[in-house]
Amino acid sequence: MKLRRRHLIGSAAALAGTASLGRLVRPAHAAVTEFRMIEAGGPSGDSIEAGYIAPFTEKTGISVVRESPSGLGKLRAMVEARSVTAALLELSSPELEQAKALDLLEPLDWDAIDPLPMFPEARDDHGFGYQYYSTIMAWHPDARAPSTWAEFFDVENFPGRRALPDYAAYILAMAVMADGVAPEDIYPIDLDRAFAKLESIKDHVAVWWQAGAQPPQLIRDGEVQYAVAWSGRVAGQEGIEYSFAEGQLDIAFFTVPKGTNPDEKAAAMGLLHEMTVPENQAVAAGVIPYTGNSPDLDALLPQDNLEQLPTSAQNRAVQVLSDARWWYENADEIELRWQEFKLSL
Amino acid sequence: MSRIKLVSGPSGIRFVMPLGLAMLVAFNIPVVLMLAWGFSSPAGALAPWADMIERTVYLRVLANTFRIALICTLVCAVLGYPLAYWLCCLQGRARMIALALVVLPFWVSILVRTYAWIVVLGNNGVVNRSLLELGLITEPLALIYNELGVVIGTTNVLLPFLVLPLFAAMLGIDRRVLQAASGLGAPPGTVFWRVFFPLTLPGLAAGCILVFILTLGFFITPAILGGGRVSMIANMIDLLINRMPRWELAAALSTVLLLATFVCYAFYLKLSKRGAA
Repeated sequence: MKLRRRHLIGSAAALAGTASLGRLVRPAHAAVTEFRMIEAGGPSGDSIEAGYIAPFTEKTGISVVRESPSGLGKLRAMVEARSVTAALLELSSPELEQAKALDLLEPLDWDAIDPLPMFPEARDDHGFGYQYYSTIMAWHPDARAPSTWAEFFDVENFPGRRALPDYAAYILAMAVMADGVAPEDIYPIDLDRAFAKLESIKDHVAVWWQAGAQPPQLIRDGEVQYAVAWSGRVAGQEGIEYSFAEGQLDIAFFTVPKGTNPDEKAAAMGLLHEMTVPENQAVAAGVIPYTGNSPDLDALLPQDNLEQLPTSAQNRAVQVLSDARWWYENADEIELRWQEFKLSL
Repeated sequence: MSRIKLVSGPSGIRFVMPLGLAMLVAFNIPVVLMLAWGFSSPAGALAPWADMIERTVYLRVLANTFRIALICTLVCAVLGYPLAYWLCCLQGRARMIALALVVLPFWVSILVRTYAWIVVLGNNGVVNRSLLELGLITEPLALIYNELGVVIGTTNVLLPFLVLPLFAAMLGIDRRVLQAASGLGAPPGTVFWRVFFPLTLPGLAAGCILVFILTLGFFITPAILGGGRVSMIANMIDLLINRMPRWELAAALSTVLLLATFVCYAFYLKLSKRGAA
């Protein structure tokens, strides 16, 4: 508790400090030599460093300082304080929709990005989809392997404790699929049906997790036999089985906060270009098994690893893309129902 | 000793001015600004308050927080009272060592201590394994990732906050009063319950309120040991600020929490004054 508060105050002060300093010493149209980005952190941040920042800095001489974690709260604080200290900020797809509605973002300059071929859904006026990640089922090797959400939710025939996400956005779609809704008919999600299905399983859920590192740890500790997990945390990990079947595919976006210095924004567009280069994406995927936005990526990856990756042709075919628009439009109602459900645990 | 002149009264204020200013600028003013957020919703000044009352979930989480704080306080009191009493009975080096053991947790990061409970109390933890091997249980007990885990973790962190003031209060009791009681023929049990215990009550109550107030704001412990099933207000406010982001509602909830804490603090002041008198 204390640690967190100190951290928040510290980083807020640091943010404010660097902002005002920057304004004082920056001459009118000086070339940008450095800009900051706020990303999700962890191995994902390391993959950005290795895959995209390294070649970008080599080409342009501009260094990029990473901060983490990201979130709507930070974006709103920066924009409303008129002290924008990062030229790029990572958001999930529903967060992107909400940030647009709250008018917190600058439009991207797609001419300047000049992207190589990329999946169309990764391209947005205000958002650059740079990383695909999946929310999938994982289990202990000793547990009976499920192949559908109906089986995953079937505690009679697939006995064992579960770990489920403490995020409505990563479990409600699975709940309605478990209740018999076909993957192509999920949206709009029937909330009553989804929560009823969760009610039926809640006594078998040992942990509702918040951090992506928890599900693999809980499976290894023997705390649970089955978990819903982010693919990059479980795919290819020793002692954990997983399947992409009926998985939920999501996209992480980079955005430019409203009020970003135009020179920094221009430099940031160059980094986004690097994120469309399939060779760079292959390097990033080597750090964490999440994939980039290039349709040409598969050929560049180690072929025996393709089954670990969210967008390899074989995995993409069995997953459902999350409907960010629906999640955004229903965000308040979903969150209230989620909190009410949690109180009933 | 008499030559040392202590600075007191109005002239001493210049020494606390830097701290006072820092608190004012870095803490008090931001808190007031934060409270103002509760009335700044574009949907109308009172919209978040109406929201909070209409959708009862927020106030129910607050009530749940108070309930857990009460449980933690009671557990701390039941564990802490005998401990403080025992510390009082010890002499010299033994007391120093025992006190050091009580204070020791302060030197270990709260994060480390909280994670340590996973190793101790998890399904594959020391406790469950021992009990399984001894044949006392056939299934691991659910000791963490529930309310019990939160209570254990919180109590562990906060116990010194109760023990230390209580220990000081016990030390301050005039032993001659106890001697007088037994001199007048009271058996030890009566001396304890009718003389010693009532004299420690203000200290105990003050320690309890301190623990209660601190539990209200606990964040990391429920996040790690609650397994996502223990809803507490700090975690709810974090969600509203960082994820939603609905700052107006978060500010309104924080206001309610702050007012509740002030009420508790007023009790604390009253009781600690009585304890000092």
